[in-house]
Amino acid sequence: MKMTIRAAFLGLVFAVLAGAAAHAASDALKGMIYETGPLKATDSKLKVRVGEQAPDFTLKSISGKMVSLSDYKGKSNVVISFIPAAWTPVCSDQWPGYALAKDVFIKNEAVVLGISTDNIPSLYAWTSQMNGVWFPVLSDFWPHGDVARKYGVLRSDGTADRTILIVDKKGRIRYIGLHSINTRPPLEEIIQELERIR
Amino acid sequence: MSRTFTAGLGMLSFLLALLAAPLGAQDTREGHLRALNSLSLYTPEDAGERQYLGLKDAPEKIPLGRIDAEVLIVEVFSMYCPHCQRHAPDANKLYHALDSREEFRNKIKMIGIGIGNSQYEVGLFREKYAPPFPLFDDRSSAVVGSLSGIYTPHYFGLKMKDGSIREIFYSESGAFSDAEAFLEMIVEESGIQRGGNS
Repeated sequence: MKMTIRAAFLGLVFAVLAGAAAHAASDALKGMIYETGPLKATDSKLKVRVGEQAPDFTLKSISGKMVSLSDYKGKSNVVISFIPAAWTPVCSDQWPGYALAKDVFIKNEAVVLGISTDNIPSLYAWTSQMNGVWFPVLSDFWPHGDVARKYGVLRSDGTADRTILIVDKKGRIRYIGLHSINTRPPLEEIIQELERIR
Repeated sequence: MSRTFTAGLGMLSFLLALLAAPLGAQDTREGHLRALNSLSLYTPEDAGERQYLGLKDAPEKIPLGRIDAEVLIVEVFSMYCPHCQRHAPDANKLYHALDSREEFRNKIKMIGIGIGNSQYEVGLFREKYAPPFPLFDDRSSAVVGSLSGIYTPHYFGLKMKDGSIREIFYSESGAFSDAEAFLEMIVEESGIQRGGNS
């Protein structure tokens, strides 16, 4: 009984603190964001390592085109950005920044592949609301989370952990950043890694 | 004992619920006033920007209250926010409208704060949109941690006196489309004296 009361109390304090947590979402998505509150920072176990060949995959993009990682082999570095879910606070505040940094990615001979386990219509609506993005947005919806599972970033609730992988032109993984689901990966960290491998 | 504890828990829950309840506009404004007065931001490296702000020295950080102005317009933006990206040319027009009015040029000043943005991220925004007014970054997350419940872009109109912010007379989330009309509204709402040279 005491344990139940204590758990309820802690839960309440946590809920209050979570509700009061400061954030500044874009006005572009005002009223459309599902507040998740703080979640377990990471909930997966990586199956790939820096230096290994990146597992190839083929996924459908929101443009309807099928996109494979191997399409970029010998042509471009690839920044794979797994995000947990559309219409959630931190994710909605991540890719629009990569849109602004397009020139910096291009200068570093890199393309971004955005991957989520959301389905195509949801990803299309969400990215349209953020004025679109310049890079392919890929759906790992079905078989659900197959690519995320292959990389070891699939969470137990079917979303993906917030992960950045940089794959060089030879298809080798040069950087893995498994970030807390609750925070946005610093852009400079990605750019610094790209500059290092260029 | 258990009953007393449960009653105490109930009272504490009530108090926490009060804390978590949405604040009224006035309460929010007062909370934001306290937050803005307690903020210290990294001093711009650019000497021209420091001169514009009326800073005779270059400490590592300055409180907003040190900015030499009767009225300060603050645009809280994020480089990750698509509306802020789209709004950037209009924000620049606001500065130019202000700069063209000799009677207000030195009385009303304008800055931008990149909420939750690192120095690098604000630098990218500056490079892309070339704002003619100083931009501050939020590398220590002090701003995102203290300004809750706002959507970017968010504009504050502040009355300044004797080294502190005395009043928030304007606080709205969302972009404007007519810079001249927005400036007129700021002049009206602030009650700043018209006429004469600044």
